[in-house]
Amino acid sequence: MLVRRCVAGDAAAWEEIVQTYNRRIYNICYRFAGSSDDAEDLAQEVFIKMYRTLASYDSSKGAFVTWVTTITRNLLVDHFRKTKQDRITDSLDATSSAHEDAQPLSEQIQDQSAPPDQRVRSREVQESVHAALARLSPELREAVILRDLQDFDYREIATVLKVPEGTVKSRINRGRAELARLLQRTYRQVM
Amino acid sequence: MPDHTSNGMQCHEFDSLVSDMLDSVLTGNQLDRFQTHSRTCSVCGPLFAEVTAGRNWLKDLREVEPPVSLVNNILASTTGVDTQRLRVNMPARQTRVSWIERAQAWASGAMQPVWGTVRQPRFAMSFGMAFFALSVALSVLGVKPADLRQISLRPSAVRHAYYNTQARVVRYYDNIKLVYQVQAAVRELKRNVTPAGSRPAESAPAKKDHKNDTTQQPEQKQDRNYSQNENHLILACAPLGPSVFDRLSPDPPNPDRFNPDPLNPDLPVVSVTTYRRFV
Repeated sequence: MLVRRCVAGDAAAWEEIVQTYNRRIYNICYRFAGSSDDAEDLAQEVFIKMYRTLASYDSSKGAFVTWVTTITRNLLVDHFRKTKQDRITDSLDATSSAHEDAQPLSEQIQDQSAPPDQRVRSREVQESVHAALARLSPELREAVILRDLQDFDYREIATVLKVPEGTVKSRINRGRAELARLLQRTYRQVM
Repeated sequence: MPDHTSNGMQCHEFDSLVSDMLDSVLTGNQLDRFQTHSRTCSVCGPLFAEVTAGRNWLKDLREVEPPVSLVNNILASTTGVDTQRLRVNMPARQTRVSWIERAQAWASGAMQPVWGTVRQPRFAMSFGMAFFALSVALSVLGVKPADLRQISLRPSAVRHAYYNTQARVVRYYDNIKLVYQVQAAVRELKRNVTPAGSRPAESAPAKKDHKNDTTQQPEQKQDRNYSQNENHLILACAPLGPSVFDRLSPDPPNPDRFNPDPLNPDLPVVSVTTYRRFV
């Protein structure tokens, strides 16, 4: 209904779509790309692409959120291919300034009562997991992000990634295991 | 993954059930077999532990807040459709540009200095004047823009046009010559027909023109009071009788000559000659 209004030229409907999905799309982009600047640009690009191709959306083929995520994923893959040569492969210990920019607001609010050392540790963990996620291969990363961060079910992920559900499950398990190995290695070195 | 069989469950089967186990959808006999295999298999047991740990790590990862300006930027860019990334990607899209557009781009780059000169007001004024002069010249010559469409560039047609133009110019020159000849003949006729007494009257308008003379030169009338020409001397005090010059002169004395004292015509007078010189 919202999409139809938007295609008909209702600007308010388009604004509502942007308000509804900008957070989800930005988070997918941020976790996949690794930096807040890239995520902002990519999210903007996703919406531009969505705005241009909104008329091609067919509700009988799937949910709107799946269609939006598919657009996002395709654009992220394109971005990954373009920036493959100059991608930063820093170690997990390296702290990017982009991560500091992306400090979750909820964390800032909730952790006000927590002791400072606990807040610092929580922040360090966040950054470590984020960095480890960035070191996964794109196939594993996108599957893990969609499942564990965006709570998509396997069927939706299979639709977005255009692979069978069994492959999706396998990629998710391999991604989780690889992430755990990377983080264990990091914390073993720290210890 | 090695395909071991432990407690009635193979490793690849265990791998496919890991997600279901973590999602808590395994029940009954299948759950028992999974747990038993996880405990006894040296490969699948650690794998399941890693997958569980990885999922727990990811659970700690909270959602980040998008920038405040993101929504506004999106709404603005969807109307303008222009982002920094799109601008960066512009060169990659230029590979699909057709050769006509490339030629246009090259031409615009090559013509940039010329266009910069042309846009100067001085050049525009010169161009305007040249255009004006050309249009006036064409109109004087009788060339109309509509005629240009009918111009034939065949050699015979060009030759024909050349001879036509030449004939027209010669005719025009001859007509002017005839007019001048007629005017000169009429003027000569008038001069011959007019009586001699009335001729000074003809020069009256010429005298009036001296009022408008701004050359600061003295009028010719002043000269006539002292001398008829440059070689004629003017005497400040002329003798009563015939002057020395008259006596020396072979001509008889002129009775009309001016004499200030007619009662004493023979009085010797020392004559002083002054020269009035005009610069």
